[in-house]
Amino acid sequence: MIRSFIHCFKSEWLKTRRTTAFWLVVSGGLFIPAILIAIRIINSNELVAIYKSIFFWENLFSKSWQIMAVFLLPMGVILSTSLLTQIEYRNNTWKQLHTTPQRYSLIFVTKLTVILVMMLQFFVLFNLGIYLSGIIPALFYNNIHFSAQPIPYMRFLKINVQFFIDCLPIVALQLLIALQFKNFMISLGAGIGLLVASMFAVQWKYGYTIPYTYTTYNFLAMKTKELQNIIGVNIHVMAISYFVIITVVSYVLYIYKSEKG
Amino acid sequence: MLYKIMVKYCVQTNNLSHTFSSGEMVLKDINLYVPEGSIYGFLGANGAGKTTTLKLILGLLKLQQGTVHIFGKLMAQHRLQILQKIGSLIESPSLYAHLTAIENLQVMQKVFQCKKSRITEALQLVGLSDTGNKKVQHFSLGMKQRLSIALSLLHQPSLLILDEPTNGLDPTGIIEMRELLRKLNQMQGITIIISSHLLSEIEKLVTHIGVINKGNLLFQGTLQQLEQCQQQGSYTVIATNNEVAALRLIRNMDMAATTQKGKIILPVISNEQLAAINTQLVSNGLSVYEITTVKNNLETIFINMINS
Repeated sequence: MIRSFIHCFKSEWLKTRRTTAFWLVVSGGLFIPAILIAIRIINSNELVAIYKSIFFWENLFSKSWQIMAVFLLPMGVILSTSLLTQIEYRNNTWKQLHTTPQRYSLIFVTKLTVILVMMLQFFVLFNLGIYLSGIIPALFYNNIHFSAQPIPYMRFLKINVQFFIDCLPIVALQLLIALQFKNFMISLGAGIGLLVASMFAVQWKYGYTIPYTYTTYNFLAMKTKELQNIIGVNIHVMAISYFVIITVVSYVLYIYKSEKG
Repeated sequence: MLYKIMVKYCVQTNNLSHTFSSGEMVLKDINLYVPEGSIYGFLGANGAGKTTTLKLILGLLKLQQGTVHIFGKLMAQHRLQILQKIGSLIESPSLYAHLTAIENLQVMQKVFQCKKSRITEALQLVGLSDTGNKKVQHFSLGMKQRLSIALSLLHQPSLLILDEPTNGLDPTGIIEMRELLRKLNQMQGITIIISSHLLSEIEKLVTHIGVINKGNLLFQGTLQQLEQCQQQGSYTVIATNNEVAALRLIRNMDMAATTQKGKIILPVISNEQLAAINTQLVSNGLSVYEITTVKNNLETIFINMINS
């Protein structure tokens, strides 16, 4: 079973080569850090004070996640999940895939795994980019001295894990829609619609019912640390619950689809 | 029926029927028998139900009624085992346009877990060894078709199901494809089901034929059996200056003859009998304008089957 999964995963992973989703992950992970590097190199006046701060790494981390958490991350997840699932529709290869000696459940789980691994890739690239956006500007100016404060790895890791978990329901819902509808615009439209709705819903007392709000809530929690008391629920538990329920529904719909070609 | 029991069938469908969600019944009680080691031509006009039948056999459509046995096993219960030994090409080529030919084959090689050397062998078989880093999106239709065949052959299947595989191929490509399939069948014993709407292509390759029209299987048998229909459908035409007298003379020779549009129509007879008729007519003062044997070609038989 594990061997079959590994072979299936390798096959599915190969399909992502040179796809738009692949380049989206790479460019998305490095986009914000690249902009930060450019801004800091161009506007070097404040760099001395910035680099002297004992909260240098926290501030950099927070600044990097600011735009990412509210818009770019959920948007990137919507796009990459839809694009990766669309590979088979676009190439008319579902009939080829469904005549291979693989269980439908294995195909479903492997496709989901590929999407999650690509998301993980994004997180690794983004965090690497944040690190480089801290290091690189300092190399351009001799008068900038790095703060001696160590990077709070465990705190950053915890926040990354939380963001990853908060993206899971978005992955599950986009996968469900993309598997059911051949038209790419349907899954994209639904995702964008829910994302826009979430931007308004963040201020609504029941906003936590919309999973697309969770990355924003998590970012706010980075600053206030009192979010759970304000909204009354643990959004990460909600995210996992949504992910499990939607994935099960998605799996059932996929398995029982009458036309597999 | 006894013959059917004795012959080993690679593919066997029983009372296969299918209705689309719109309510249209597209297949009615299809009982396909594909003998092991045969090249089975599945013939029918566009929209006759060929692709639907093949999709049901492969499990791409949910079975509503009937059963499918492949290699003696029920498809519904032994799907993975059966698919391990099947290569298929259904409708248009299923290829990843952003990948190269080798990468497309690698995708399948990892699934079937066959040797990596098979990739090179499969590409050589179909004449696509030199595509290099060219992505499939830049291939011609013929190249895509050939790559699809390579994909279906990669894991050395026992059964090939090909839905109109010569689409998009030029005449040289069609001949090469035919030779390749014949070689695979004869040298490796691969059973091949090949669907087409072109009788001229089918009759040059297959050993068995199934004719489907509007969801009904009109004929199923060997190519020889179909050719017997061809002989039965042939006739001789004799045109003279006096068909009434000619008819009387021919009937006096104990031959069944009729007239049609001023000409005498006879079943196919030997050359000696033809010569005897000619001598009889001329010696009785009649002028013979035409003696022709009309062979009811397979196309006419096919069209007659569909129209009847």
